[in-house]
Amino acid sequence: MAQCVQSVQELIPDSFVPCVAALCSDDAERLTRLNHLSFAELLKPFTRLTSEVHMRDPNNQLHIIKNLKIAVSNIITQPPQPGAIRKLLSDVVSGSQPADGLVANVITAGDYDLNISDRSIKASVPWYSNWKDTLMEMKESSLNTATTPWFESYRETFLQSMPASDHEFLNHYLACMLVASSSEAEPMEQFGKLSQEQHRIQHNNDYSYPKWFIPNTLKYYVLLHDVSAGDEQRAESIYEEMKQKYGTQGCYLLKINSRTSNQASDEQIPDPWSQYLQKNSIQNQESYEDGPCTISSNKNSDSNLLSLDGLDNEVKVDGLPNNFRAHPLQLDSSSDPSNNIDGPDHVKSASSLHETKKANPGIIHGACLTLTDHDRIRQFVQEFTFRGLLPHIEKTIRQLNDQLISRKGLSRSLFSATKKWFSGSKVPEKSINELKNTSGLLYPPEAPELQIRKMADLCFLVQHYDLAYSCYHTAKKDFLNDQAMLYAAGALEMAAVSAFLQQGAARPYPAHYMDTAIQTYRDICKNMILAERCVLLSAEILKSQSKYSEAAALLIRLTSEDSDLRSALLLEQAAHCFINMKSPMVRKYAFHMILAGHRFSKAGQKKHALRCYCQAMQVYKGKGWSLAEDHINFTIGRQSYTLRQLDNAVSAFRHILINESKQSAAQQGSFLREYLYVYKNVSQLSPDGPLPQLPLPYINSSATRVFFGHDRRPADGEKQAATHVSLDQEYDNESSQQWRELEEQVVALVNKGVIPPNFHPTQYCLNSFSDNSRFPLAVVEEPITVEVAFRNPLKVPLLLTNLSLLWKFQPKDCSGKNDEEVKELVFFIHFPTGLLCGEIRKAYVEFVNVSKCPLTGLKVVCKRPEFFTFGGNTTALTPLSPSASENCSAYKTVVTESTSVCTALTSSASSVDFGIGIGSQPEVIPVPLPDTVLLPGASVQLPLWLRGPDEEGVHEINFLFYYESVKKLPKIRHRILRHTAVICTSRSLNARATVCRSNSLEDEEGRGGNMLVFVDVENINTSEAGVKEFHIVQVSSSSKHWKLQKSVNLSENKDAKLGSREKGKFCFKAIRCKEKEVATQSSEDYTFADIIFGNEQIISSASPCADFFYRSLSSELKKAQPSAHTEKQSVEDAVRLIQKCSEVDLNVVILWKAYVVEDSKQLILEGQHHVILHTVGKEAYSSPQKQEPPEMEPLKFFRPENTAVSSRPSVEQLSSLIKTSLHYPESLNHPFHQKSLCLVPVTLLLSNCSKADVDVIVDLRHKTTSPESLEIHGSFTWLGQTQYKLQLKSEEIHSLQLKACFVHTGVYNLGTPRVFAKLSDQVTVFETSQQNSMPALIIINNV
Amino acid sequence: MAVCVAVIAKENYPLYIRSVPTENELKFHYMVHTSLDVVDEKISAMGKALVDQRELYLGLLYPTEDYKVYGYVTNSKVKFVMVVDSSNTALRDNEIRSMFRKLHNSYTDVMCNPFYNPGDRIQSRAFDSMVTSMMIQVC
Repeated sequence: MAQCVQSVQELIPDSFVPCVAALCSDDAERLTRLNHLSFAELLKPFTRLTSEVHMRDPNNQLHIIKNLKIAVSNIITQPPQPGAIRKLLSDVVSGSQPADGLVANVITAGDYDLNISDRSIKASVPWYSNWKDTLMEMKESSLNTATTPWFESYRETFLQSMPASDHEFLNHYLACMLVASSSEAEPMEQFGKLSQEQHRIQHNNDYSYPKWFIPNTLKYYVLLHDVSAGDEQRAESIYEEMKQKYGTQGCYLLKINSRTSNQASDEQIPDPWSQYLQKNSIQNQESYEDGPCTISSNKNSDSNLLSLDGLDNEVKVDGLPNNFRAHPLQLDSSSDPSNNIDGPDHVKSASSLHETKKANPGIIHGACLTLTDHDRIRQFVQEFTFRGLLPHIEKTIRQLNDQLISRKGLSRSLFSATKKWFSGSKVPEKSINELKNTSGLLYPPEAPELQIRKMADLCFLVQHYDLAYSCYHTAKKDFLNDQAMLYAAGALEMAAVSAFLQQGAARPYPAHYMDTAIQTYRDICKNMILAERCVLLSAEILKSQSKYSEAAALLIRLTSEDSDLRSALLLEQAAHCFINMKSPMVRKYAFHMILAGHRFSKAGQKKHALRCYCQAMQVYKGKGWSLAEDHINFTIGRQSYTLRQLDNAVSAFRHILINESKQSAAQQGSFLREYLYVYKNVSQLSPDGPLPQLPLPYINSSATRVFFGHDRRPADGEKQAATHVSLDQEYDNESSQQWRELEEQVVALVNKGVIPPNFHPTQYCLNSFSDNSRFPLAVVEEPITVEVAFRNPLKVPLLLTNLSLLWKFQPKDCSGKNDEEVKELVFFIHFPTGLLCGEIRKAYVEFVNVSKCPLTGLKVVCKRPEFFTFGGNTTALTPLSPSASENCSAYKTVVTESTSVCTALTSSASSVDFGIGIGSQPEVIPVPLPDTVLLPGASVQLPLWLRGPDEEGVHEINFLFYYESVKKLPKIRHRILRHTAVICTSRSLNARATVCRSNSLEDEEGRGGNMLVFVDVENINTSEAGVKEFHIVQVSSSSKHWKLQKSVNLSENKDAKLGSREKGKFCFKAIRCKEKEVATQSSEDYTFADIIFGNEQIISSASPCADFFYRSLSSELKKAQPSAHTEKQSVEDAVRLIQKCSEVDLNVVILWKAYVVEDSKQLILEGQHHVILHTVGKEAYSSPQKQEPPEMEPLKFFRPENTAVSSRPSVEQLSSLIKTSLHYPESLNHPFHQKSLCLVPVTLLLSNCSKADVDVIVDLRHKTTSPESLEIHGSFTWLGQTQYKLQLKSEEIHSLQLKACFVHTGVYNLGTPRVFAKLSDQVTVFETSQQNSMPALIIINNV
Repeated sequence: MAVCVAVIAKENYPLYIRSVPTENELKFHYMVHTSLDVVDEKISAMGKALVDQRELYLGLLYPTEDYKVYGYVTNSKVKFVMVVDSSNTALRDNEIRSMFRKLHNSYTDVMCNPFYNPGDRIQSRAFDSMVTSMMIQVC
């Protein structure tokens, strides 16, 4: 139960107050009407006594009454109709709504924060301003301060509208005020008439209503005097007369209307009536919707809604001198039959009353009253209570007490016996069978059994709870004995309440009394109204004792099908009880709120229903109970919709849709339809309103991409546009980084090696990964594409139509020059998708300037410059039309005579001509436009040679085209165009080459300048590409110092065919270029030597052969560079010298043709492989050798030894310091029979390969370490000196004459001399055995 | 026998909830959710000292007009709630208790699945069929 503004100790006494009737004369009523008030209404604000009152109880004890309140009401002769009460209650509830916009009232219960909107917190707590304090306070007190004012209004109205019943007397009239005006012609006569009228109503059997407490009702005579209009003298004299007649205690002169209503109110008079009249409409309600009228009103109410001011309905004068015909009540009581029939008119007044009340909220009550008048009224009420009412009550209690005491004298048995005898008399005269059946015995109104109840009620009304309790208790026993269940229940109820209200709490609150009473009312008497009153009281009492659980049970038990409004209110209170429990039951709260909402909705209280659902929602929200949550949201949506809170409705429905619904597809579909329906209503209401946010489909905003520029053009025949940037591409950090680097490279190159500080890479596509902090630059008349990602979370399809992107352009220092921006398109023609490794293919690239401005500075950047070339400077630009190039060799060829087959044809070329070595950026390649500028609308086609990368597989090669406008624009200095070529390469040939020094001395100059080049070529094609065979057509060398001279062993087939998996071996002799040739050439010049196996020479020094050679060379150098850096700087000169002598810079280019069958058509493909030889004796490969993935090594848990790179050159390197060769006759015939010793002269040639002086030791002694070697060598002896020490100058060749002596015939190996060498200026550190020369065999024959 | 079986996480959101298809599912959701208050109350009423030896079976949580709601709490504060028809008088405390034990065993199996992420909705087919068997047995 929610907290109430009133405490229960105030509430209950205020619910049961002494009732006083008021009967006014016509004139008196007119006087009060001037203030827009009836007489009863006039008194209303002043009916609470401000001072304590004393009275004496039957035992003559002084009893103090505090805060006494009385209720004055006009006499109504018909009990209120249940229908009218229901309507009234419903209006009261719907009229009381929580105010909007008040500070939230949050209750923290467990992990729930419940927000209960509340209005009274503001009024009731002084520290309201500090919201946090409020929260703290609430937590500490763990009390729910939420109030439900609609419930309190309901309860107040309900209790006030209780029809008076025969079994209890609490709301029976104790007294009657008879009011007449001083302006009457005959006031005393009027009083007499009023008195008679009262008597008639009370004692005539025609009227069963209203109920009167005791037969002789206190009559109090009031003379109303209008100060501003009436004659005061006369009033005083009448008053004197009254005092004479009725005694000073029984009459009063009340002066009102001290000012006329039209008088300008110069003083602000408070209006104490306003707060009452809203609520006390029940009085008027009752008076207008009285009995006979309601019957007709049911029939005619619709047609009789004429607006007639209920306050002025004295118009209907019926001609009789009836003083109070203004009241329907009095109309009834009057004898004129016409009035009784005159139903519809009353309906008019009844229904119009409501309308006027609603229509004129601005009516000022008490306009003719001054503050003095207020005081007079207050004084009057006090006087009446002190002098009239209370003495009357005191007297009555005494009388009743005396009666009881006298009755107690009779023995109980006799009493009960009498009861039996007189049982017939106990049956009421107007016996109502059903009443008797349901509630047992009924007593006549003045039955002696009821006297004790009367006394109890009186005591209760004057707050004498001790006495009241004991009386109720006694009465209860009596009634139970008589099986008078209704009476017993009433006594039980009031006994419980009195027990609770007793000062000092003499006994605990007997809750079971209440339970019995409720049960009796409900089940036996079938009187839900009484049961409800009982529940309301008991629940409030239990709540005040923190027995929330019991209170909730009580409230829930009374919910039934017969009244939705009551059930709703009680369920809501029960819900509040649950949350107020020591350990708050949040979920029960929520559940009962939902039940309450449901009942509210059935009762037509839509606002309350919505509120209940909203409050329950807080508990269910986001806790995973999606089915319940959806249901609540759906209901909230519907209720909001019917209340025309369309925005709320939309948002509630929206929640259902976006909440990762677990509903079935059909359910989702209906939710969606409902949402769309409501949504359509909203959008129709405000067609010009802001665009609403649709909950569906989801927009994955982080996936939104903005794309600048045209989308990619589809391939147009052979023409294939540059891929550029398109929305199809997924973001790839690596590639975007690559593009960025490429752009930086070209920009750096253009800006002389430095990237300008304000450089930002061009962004064509903004997404969640790109840097979106800068304003992107877009070009006028170029499209901007926005890609939005949608997702539909529902199981039903969503149809999206009329999608449009809303955008706004805000010009920001727009210089208007952007329309001069250049734009270029790039197309590729004959661009292949598959190549053999090393294959050369000619394609064309077309550049088109589609802007209105000439462009220049066209460059292309690529990480793989070895992949393509535009041809070098030396080639005459012969842009053949692409179609003509079909079946044409990509190479430049010259037909040669077959005679010059085995000797090399030499030519030379500079790498500068091929765009290599112009800077540190080999990746940036300027595009050789015919005249550096491409005019608007012009297009240029350039040949483009491609070479398949050496590694097989799929290669993605990124080209970045860079161009500038001829005019330098400040904002966009350059523009770029991207292209990604995807090339699939398949295996072709693998070439392997070694070079070694020739031992022969054939060189005419005698300098060790001869070398042998061995080239192994293997066909590793797996013939997937349909390659039949490869033909090696030419092997060329390219070097600064060396050239191939001739082919040494030529196989029979000149073409050097290689079938599948075949291997071919080639051997070439290479010589040093002539010194003079070298001298004339610049250091970047290379000598090319071609050895041809066919009849066509491919000029290797021309494009494209040389281009690719240089490119692969430079990329090879680039790869090698990092390894050079790792070497220690401290490598000594000597080491370098030693290393140098094994270095060689010979590069071999193998040119080949492949015969390919494709679609039963034979094609000839061409290609070239490069082998770069650096070191003598070391194998080099055309394609990087695949590294076998190293075997997983067992983990070793020790720190690796610091393997410092020794500065010593390797043995191998040292051993090549000196080249040795033995010269001797290969076979010798010696007559051993003549001469037993055969002496053979042998020349040992020592040549120093290094540029430094070398000390050489030649040791001729046989090594005897291994016996086998001895055997092989046979036995021969060197004659003469066994050891020589020599010093060889730089590149000096020294010949040493030796003599070998043989004693037998046989084959001997002469290669036994061991040569040790060291650099002269070094210590022995580097002294090493020189390379064992090949076995030098000599044959000694006997002749 | 059961008309609704629910497994509720420690944080009081449903891990699993299933009811007989003939009835309004929503009603049972509300019922189970509301019963959690009583579960909380029963647990907190037990006091700390007894937590270790307490019985997992909580007994009848509350009766409604048509149904009885029973509760069971594992040591890890996962709640099992079972709703049975009030008219089914054959079901006594012992039967309910053994049904809960079965449910608990099956739930433990679910938890032992290394691919089950604790706190996710239970989608195990084995668990589902076990619940089905508990629901069918009545009819």
